Amino acid sequence: MVRDIMTKRIKQFLSRRPQLNGFWLPVAVALIWETMSRQGDAYAYTFIPLTQIAHSFLSLIQSGELLINLLATLQTTVIGLLVGGIAGLLVGGLMAVSPTANKLIGPLYHTIRQVPLLGLIPLIALWFGNGLPSKILIVSLAAFYPIVLNTFEGMRGVEKKYIEVSSVLKLSRLQLFVKVLLPAAMPSILTGVMHALAFAWISTVGTELLFSTGPGLGGLMQIAQEASRMDIVIIAVGSIGLTGLLMNTALSRLSQYLLRWRSLR
Amino acid sequence: MTNLRVFSDSFRAYALYFLSPVALLIIWTWVCSAGIFPEQILVSPAGVFETSRELWASGELPAHLQDSLLRLVWGFAIGALFGLLFGVLMGLFKSVDNFFAPSFNAIRQIPTIAFIPMLIMIFGVEETFKIVIVAKAAFFPVTLATYDAVKGVPRTYFEVSRVYQLPTWYLVTRIVLPSTTPPILTGFRLALGRSWMVLVAAELIAADSGIGQMMEMGRQMFRIDIVLVGVLVTGLIGFLLDRGLRSVEAHLGKWKYR
Repeated sequence: MVRDIMTKRIKQFLSRRPQLNGFWLPVAVALIWETMSRQGDAYAYTFIPLTQIAHSFLSLIQSGELLINLLATLQTTVIGLLVGGIAGLLVGGLMAVSPTANKLIGPLYHTIRQVPLLGLIPLIALWFGNGLPSKILIVSLAAFYPIVLNTFEGMRGVEKKYIEVSSVLKLSRLQLFVKVLLPAAMPSILTGVMHALAFAWISTVGTELLFSTGPGLGGLMQIAQEASRMDIVIIAVGSIGLTGLLMNTALSRLSQYLLRWRSLR
Repeated sequence: MTNLRVFSDSFRAYALYFLSPVALLIIWTWVCSAGIFPEQILVSPAGVFETSRELWASGELPAHLQDSLLRLVWGFAIGALFGLLFGVLMGLFKSVDNFFAPSFNAIRQIPTIAFIPMLIMIFGVEETFKIVIVAKAAFFPVTLATYDAVKGVPRTYFEVSRVYQLPTWYLVTRIVLPSTTPPILTGFRLALGRSWMVLVAAELIAADSGIGQMMEMGRQMFRIDIVLVGVLVTGLIGFLLDRGLRSVEAHLGKWKYR
């Protein structure tokens, strides 16, 4: 009887504020974390007290270490995204416009794409060293693949009547590409850019972990792991997640703005 | 006559299809025999083939492959099972969804690779760490695909199950799982590809066996042939895993369009 009333009360309490329910789990984890950190030195090695994480966070910001590494990682991602994106746009466009190019490049593209990107790192490290150029090469490849695919499919999906109109208007091939195919394929290309951003961000962190030269959040994490500084590792992981989320949100806002001409049913 | 014409047309189409890979191989061989790059930087296709045969005959490659694949199977099985369970629960019960969705979505934003240093510190560099990271890589795509698939089950199915007063277990095994199989399998395929990539990366960073470790050793000893064999093998495995699940998808999804 008492139990019935209790469960009813709990259910009432939970159903009143369903949007608050999501906060209980993080709060519980934080509480367990904090109690574990007070169980002795062996536990404190993994379960860093929350206050110490906050303290390290402030000192990382004050020394500018976090910002320098974050900017270095962002720089690699942006350069890689630009290089891979432009190359992908050109190759994907070429494959969509010319069937011969599609038959020539397509098989090669699909073959090379099978290799997991980070598996290429040892090879690229041997060929190009382990500095910034190698990192940018990997990140551009990560951005290149999805943009080729989405550009190709977006331009293939352009309605035939647009192409017929442009041939009636005697547009040149360049005009056809810039004025008809590119805008019509824009929604698909922007989806590709969203994927490319995610992959570029992941592979930037991956290359920084594997090359561990030069500044970057991945390098910061690697050094912190070797020095068994769990607090710095946690802060770096959090920064990576948060920055990725912010970039993703910004890009999706931007693509909404760019696609505002589209009439959505 | 027409048959011949059709044959030559399809032959031309196939020839074009193989033209670029074959051309790449020929250029590669030519560059090697011309000696433009020293052998430490570029090994000829024949050299790569020779090395892969040696590695296979000495039992080194099969051993690495076995270790990697075992880790993949265990990690993927654990991650996919939990993902399936979690996705079904979140999709079916609003309260579970409310509780876990914010945390789930927050952690999902962080690339799996970024967790490698943290997991090394918690689990050490032994097998546990690799299985955990593969399971983590598999868990999120499978959960997401399952959740979306369960949300996509038509409401009428649930109404029918309520009319027949089916127990929840029957609701899950007889209605939810069969009607969500195609999208969940697509999620499995994505998850398997990511798991494989994360596993290779983890082996590159910290391992004493596996395909990734073989490549890393090759890099440190400047054995470009071993690295190239590793790249080819990882690509081949990724391709086969993808193709395998695609054919399972086609097989199990057949009833859908009947």
